[in-house]
Amino acid sequence: MEARIESAICPGCACLCDDIDITVVDDRIYQAANICLWGASKFLAHKRFHPKKERRRLQQPRIKQGCLWQTVPYEAALKRTAEILTRASRPVIYGLTNSGSWAQEAALDLARSTRARLEPADLAFKAPYYRSLMKHGLFWASLDVIRDEADTVVFWGANPLHSCPRHVVRYSVFARGKFTERGLEERRLAAVDVYRTELAEFVKLFIRLEPGQEPALVQGLLAALTGGKPPAIRGLRRLAALLEEASYGVIFFGRGVSYGPAQELLDGLGELTARLNRGSPFIFFPLTADFNSTGLYHLLLRELGSPLAPDFGHDLAGTGQAEPVAWSEVDAVVVVGADLFWFLSQEEIDRLKKRQVPVVALSPFANRTTGHAEVVIPVALAGVETPEIAYRMDGLPLFLPKIVSTHLWSDSRVLRELTALL
Amino acid sequence: MGLVIQGGIVFDPSSNWDGEVRDLFIAHGRVVDHLTEVDEAIDARGLAVTPAALELRSPVAGYGQNFLRLWGGLPSPRELGESYALLGYTHIHEPDLTLPTANYVHRELAAIPLMDTSASLTLNLRDFDIFLKNKENLSEVAAAWAYLLEHCGGLTLRVAEPFVRYRQEFYQHRTISLEAVLDILDNILHILDSKISLEATPELLTAGLPSSGRFHLACLGPALVNPEALEKAHRLLAAGVSADMGLLPPAPRSQGSLVPLTIDQDRFAPCDLHGSPDPEAPRRALELALHCRQANLAFSAADLRQTPVSSFPQLFSWLCDHHSRRRFWGEDLAPCSYSLHDWLRSTRSLPAQHLGLPDRGHLRPGARADVSIYDLPTLSWWPQSFNRCRMLLKAGERVVDNYEIVNHTVSKATFYRRTGALPNHIIDGLYAKSSFRPGNLRVHPNPEIHWQKAP
Repeated sequence: MEARIESAICPGCACLCDDIDITVVDDRIYQAANICLWGASKFLAHKRFHPKKERRRLQQPRIKQGCLWQTVPYEAALKRTAEILTRASRPVIYGLTNSGSWAQEAALDLARSTRARLEPADLAFKAPYYRSLMKHGLFWASLDVIRDEADTVVFWGANPLHSCPRHVVRYSVFARGKFTERGLEERRLAAVDVYRTELAEFVKLFIRLEPGQEPALVQGLLAALTGGKPPAIRGLRRLAALLEEASYGVIFFGRGVSYGPAQELLDGLGELTARLNRGSPFIFFPLTADFNSTGLYHLLLRELGSPLAPDFGHDLAGTGQAEPVAWSEVDAVVVVGADLFWFLSQEEIDRLKKRQVPVVALSPFANRTTGHAEVVIPVALAGVETPEIAYRMDGLPLFLPKIVSTHLWSDSRVLRELTALL
Repeated sequence: MGLVIQGGIVFDPSSNWDGEVRDLFIAHGRVVDHLTEVDEAIDARGLAVTPAALELRSPVAGYGQNFLRLWGGLPSPRELGESYALLGYTHIHEPDLTLPTANYVHRELAAIPLMDTSASLTLNLRDFDIFLKNKENLSEVAAAWAYLLEHCGGLTLRVAEPFVRYRQEFYQHRTISLEAVLDILDNILHILDSKISLEATPELLTAGLPSSGRFHLACLGPALVNPEALEKAHRLLAAGVSADMGLLPPAPRSQGSLVPLTIDQDRFAPCDLHGSPDPEAPRRALELALHCRQANLAFSAADLRQTPVSSFPQLFSWLCDHHSRRRFWGEDLAPCSYSLHDWLRSTRSLPAQHLGLPDRGHLRPGARADVSIYDLPTLSWWPQSFNRCRMLLKAGERVVDNYEIVNHTVSKATFYRRTGALPNHIIDGLYAKSSFRPGNLRVHPNPEIHWQKAP
């Protein structure tokens, strides 16, 4: 039987493109129109960087017995996870930026009940941003407003073509807005990065910096804007002029800012945005990649009053921690909606293995973490096989209905049942 | 299940019960005339029994409000719900919901426990500017607004910027003046047979309002930037315009160090969540409220960052107790104070009327059994007694008992207005401009929200 589903929402990245038209044949996705490679990785289970290869779906929970994997029912996998969490004195629930909001709420409850630390996968990127907001203020707009108004767009340490491919088409570069009817022609674009990225092909100004040079560029821009003498950095004066001439601007910063002195850089960019706002409106916007990262920080802020990593082992109020967790202290990890072992250095992985820290992985797909985990719990794809809520990168939530059915449990159900078991 | 609240001293301004000792019967969540058999009796002898309060303006769920928590400017939803319940509230109303943010607002409201919720659909007149200029289009605009109200799950209509202006020179020809907009709005509201809230501004107070009675002036306090604005507000209230107070305390000294907090929602001016009211506005707002206590003036606080729910007792005491005013302000500000009757009217009857909820804000048979019960040692000492609710019933269910929350999971609903209007070409144009497809802007599929049509 064939069915066509129009306006499906893509959980591929934080753009949450809602113009995906899907053909379902016999309860399987046969065709998806308007998707990018990120969307294909979710809807069609293609590998992101190798679209002709399939991502391996996990079908059955399994636990490690010695060196062997044993396939078990969900109940047994949950029981083993509960034992691990009960024994642990310093558990961490990691990830959640690629989980729906209901799963995030369930994970927060689990973290509370196990006195665990909840570590968002992109904390190193977002924590400095929120701290910068507290110092210099918030300048926010939805993506629709940015598309309609912004005539000056700067990408800083961000490559939207890799993190959220349709962003440039739908909102920031080529999109035609109410006051930017000619799209790209109406916008002046600049990019700052330590590598030459694809953006260099269409931005007016691409500044390539040496690693660690970014704070100096920000300070130089501030000096140039206030009539001071900026340091000699190639492109600085042109960028300062571009910013100054904006009638409505936006600075999109990406995960690249977190690879250097993130706090110093984001403080500088926050100060620069505040300074620019004395002239024209300027928005300071994190280019989030994971499809519901924004939802997670929104939840933390709403429920705990802080967007930083809550540590319920520290106190029951879940004091927010800005610094990434010290893995040397951790004695159990539950990974949900992320691939922890992709981000850890080999040294850190080796140390976790040497200390025999048990890892529980909830994932729809096989990945590096599931390869190392003691307990692997396959979950339904949020927004494809199970309904969920997700927040677009500008903080607007969308309801993602189920498109096809599955025998797999949703991650929110796994987490809720785990909490009940404890 | 039948319930009786026995022997309470009942105060209900809209029923003209001003301290009558009577029994109150409740069945199936509603107040009924009489019950021959009851399952439970609550002994309320010596206690004041009143309708539960409704918060007319609680900006806790608007787009971007969550960021206020970074600076400790907004408590968690749970704290909010509990604080309101302990003061005797059962309903809060978010003033700012738009087409793109409707899902956001309703999700935020759904997270607040204990309280029923509703929201005003804030219309951005720039979205309709071309149609507003031609009188022949007004019935289509009215139909579009009626559709949007239901589609977004809104209860009432609101306009924050009653004019059409653009920063872009190219769009200057689309400008519509405030005076012209008021006339146009009056015509549209006549077609809709509805009322609308206008956010009070000095400019609006100066312009005055059409005398059709279809306008509600929201949050007067911050608009009182000078004595002229105060005078204009006085005149409007004397002429019978409905309004809410927008009370606020004097700005603390640290106000100057607040960082900017701006959210651009595609309006002429971006919204500054920190705001910077005129230093004299708080005093003028209180003076106005005291002088116009008999008028159609409902209680409201300007915003929850400056006036958190925990500070409501202080605002109440300023309205009701001249000793309290003298202590804080150093003078009486007005010779008169709110009586218990006035205060109940401004926190119960008038908000229910303004929100169009005919079964709230009173205790006549047919009303929903939202009842708050307070200690009442003496009638002259009442302001202090009403700062904490001894018992709160919501649709007949006990939420607060003996000054404590006893039921954290009492059912709650989001009230919206069913209009039955269908989308037209104006709505199609609106959708075409949005980055969302129409189906994904609908608020109704969200299973977290319990929707209830307003009666």
